[in-house]
Amino acid sequence: MLQAQNLTKHYNDVVALDGLNLTVMGGEIFCLLGGNGAGKTTTINLFLNFIAPSDGKALVDNIDVVKSPVEAKRRIAYIPETVMLYGSLSGLENISYFTTLALGARPADDELLELLVQAGLAKEAAFKRVSGYSKGMRQKVGIAIAMAKNTKALLLDEPTSGLDPQAANEFARLLEQLKNRNVAILMTTHDLFLAKQTGTRVGIMQRGKLMSILSTDAVGSADLERIYLDISGSRWAA
Amino acid sequence: MSNVTCSDYPAGVVPARGVSVVAVIAKKELLELFRDARLMWIGGLFALLMLAALLLGWQQMQHMETERAAAQNVSYEQWLGQGERNPHTAAHFGQYAFKPSSPLLFVDPGVTPFVGVSVWMEAHKQNEFKFRPARDATSLQRFGELSVAFVLQVLAPLIIILLTFSAFTGERERGTLRQLLGVGVQPMQLLAGKGLASAVILGALLLPFVMAGLIALPFSTSHDTNVDTAVGRGVLMVVAYAIYLAGFVALSLGISALLKSSRKALVVLLAFWVINSFVMPRIMTDLVRSISPTPTAVEFQNTLVEARKANFGHDESHPGYLEFRNQVLQQYGVSEVEQLPVDFKGLALREDDQRGYRVFDKNYGALWNSYAQQERIRALAGFVFPLAVMQPVSMGLAGSDTAHHNDFARSAEVYRRQIQSVTSEDLIRNRKYGDKDYKASPALWGEIPAFDYETPDTGWVLERQWLNLAILAMWAFAAGLFAMVTTRRLTPL
Repeated sequence: MLQAQNLTKHYNDVVALDGLNLTVMGGEIFCLLGGNGAGKTTTINLFLNFIAPSDGKALVDNIDVVKSPVEAKRRIAYIPETVMLYGSLSGLENISYFTTLALGARPADDELLELLVQAGLAKEAAFKRVSGYSKGMRQKVGIAIAMAKNTKALLLDEPTSGLDPQAANEFARLLEQLKNRNVAILMTTHDLFLAKQTGTRVGIMQRGKLMSILSTDAVGSADLERIYLDISGSRWAA
Repeated sequence: MSNVTCSDYPAGVVPARGVSVVAVIAKKELLELFRDARLMWIGGLFALLMLAALLLGWQQMQHMETERAAAQNVSYEQWLGQGERNPHTAAHFGQYAFKPSSPLLFVDPGVTPFVGVSVWMEAHKQNEFKFRPARDATSLQRFGELSVAFVLQVLAPLIIILLTFSAFTGERERGTLRQLLGVGVQPMQLLAGKGLASAVILGALLLPFVMAGLIALPFSTSHDTNVDTAVGRGVLMVVAYAIYLAGFVALSLGISALLKSSRKALVVLLAFWVINSFVMPRIMTDLVRSISPTPTAVEFQNTLVEARKANFGHDESHPGYLEFRNQVLQQYGVSEVEQLPVDFKGLALREDDQRGYRVFDKNYGALWNSYAQQERIRALAGFVFPLAVMQPVSMGLAGSDTAHHNDFARSAEVYRRQIQSVTSEDLIRNRKYGDKDYKASPALWGEIPAFDYETPDTGWVLERQWLNLAILAMWAFAAGLFAMVTTRRLTPL
């Protein structure tokens, strides 16, 4: 569903992503781990066509995101590190706005409200202006927006960053449910525990390169941490 | 998680988007603006200023028109009531012509306060206009008077800038642009939606005044203006201002899409607004003066006095007079003016008038041509700064520009020449040479109908303003293209 073929991004002489080859199938959660500047967010931005690749291709459902950006975006949902919403609108108005834009048709408020509640937002909070929301509440609206779009691919960029443990746990459960609905999920994270808990496979990146791909079933939490630190540590050794 | 989804579309495939996306964006923009106190304050202030300008302009126009109509009648009654009198003395007594208010003068007073509203039509001279309201103005009024044109030309663009400068930069700064582009919204849809929302707000702010103005037009139309002409001019004025303001919306959105921060966008747009509204008009005035200079009023009058020295007037020792007398004697085959079958004094007056007309036509023609040349040069600035063309278009349609003033002056001059012709012809036909007591009957004054001036029709205005309108349209089109190009390249990063 999500494919990176020799995906490369240079900023002048700086290599942000170096020949990434990756396939994420439906029903799979692929977690990209790595320190700052490893190339995780660059990968997400390339799949969203927010930046143009220097080489290679990003494909969504076999559609090249550069050649057919509109078609590609119809097939993916995206949750950024911090879901930014319109402060003067309520949570319900925000999800209605973004979902209508995504679908080209306005869904019923009742259905959207149910999605917000499923994402963990209290019903009464859905009618309040977003300017008073915490980061966790905004993330929940972002998750509901992604769920409403009902796509087969989901891109997540550090989605649990700043969430409290309970909210992060709820989020993990939501991801599990989406995986069970055969959604292909590509998630960048610093959270090794979340990656081990929810991921199907884990990729460890360093300086724009995908250094290692591990199956979460085949590796324990301690081993994952050790491998991650070994690879990350080599950065400092280099 | 349950299997509840908000749509019946199969997962991974959603329907194609259409214009509804633009409407959804516009609706959200409006909702946000209505919840923002800024719009209420800015909109309320704008509406108040428009109302004040409209009422002030209307009241001033009605006052001027009432005074003009009364004064014009008095002047003609005085002409008719001269009793028995020498026709040439009557020609010297003359009449006043008062410029009628065009029906859209309440929108744009234009050059009216500076060029005068009445002219004395007397023998021998094409006089300058008198009674310039600007001369009676207090020093405070040097800062300018509030008019609907000022509100629309200067304040409305400022309001557009204040409402739209952060249209894209704000989305980028808040992070919502990432969210929007992430759900698949195309930048051009965003541009259209934000443009539509701006148009709706401007429409809501201006439509009541436009409707009130168009409804009031037939009531403000004096007998000097055809109602169709007034409505035609009014509709064209609405179109011209719509183009002008639409251009500002496009420019503001384009700058907002181009620059990375709201602060930068606001600074750039305010700088453009200041130059367009205050700096450019002054610079262009000085520039056109240096490129195409015009004489001062004193210089022009001195030129006229010098040129008229070639004419003989009442001077019977003037070489021109003697030459003309010899020509007439030769033409009639007589040796003394007393032997002529017609009154030589009348002939001499008619001849002097004819020679004077050529002097006036040449000098006034050159002066008016130089004014027109200055306006053409000034209009070139309109390719960048639209006020340079919006102002003349507005004044032209309001009937308050130099071209209308000159047209009225021409009409008054034609009438003055009619007075000269009738009075001189009476002398030629009926007076015996040397009869200093000759008086024409009062019936002669009635042979000259009351001065009547009809405001030119819309086609006349278009003939003179098409280039300015074309430049304005080109500027707005370029602003639209600029907005499209910068928005097409919009990225959330």
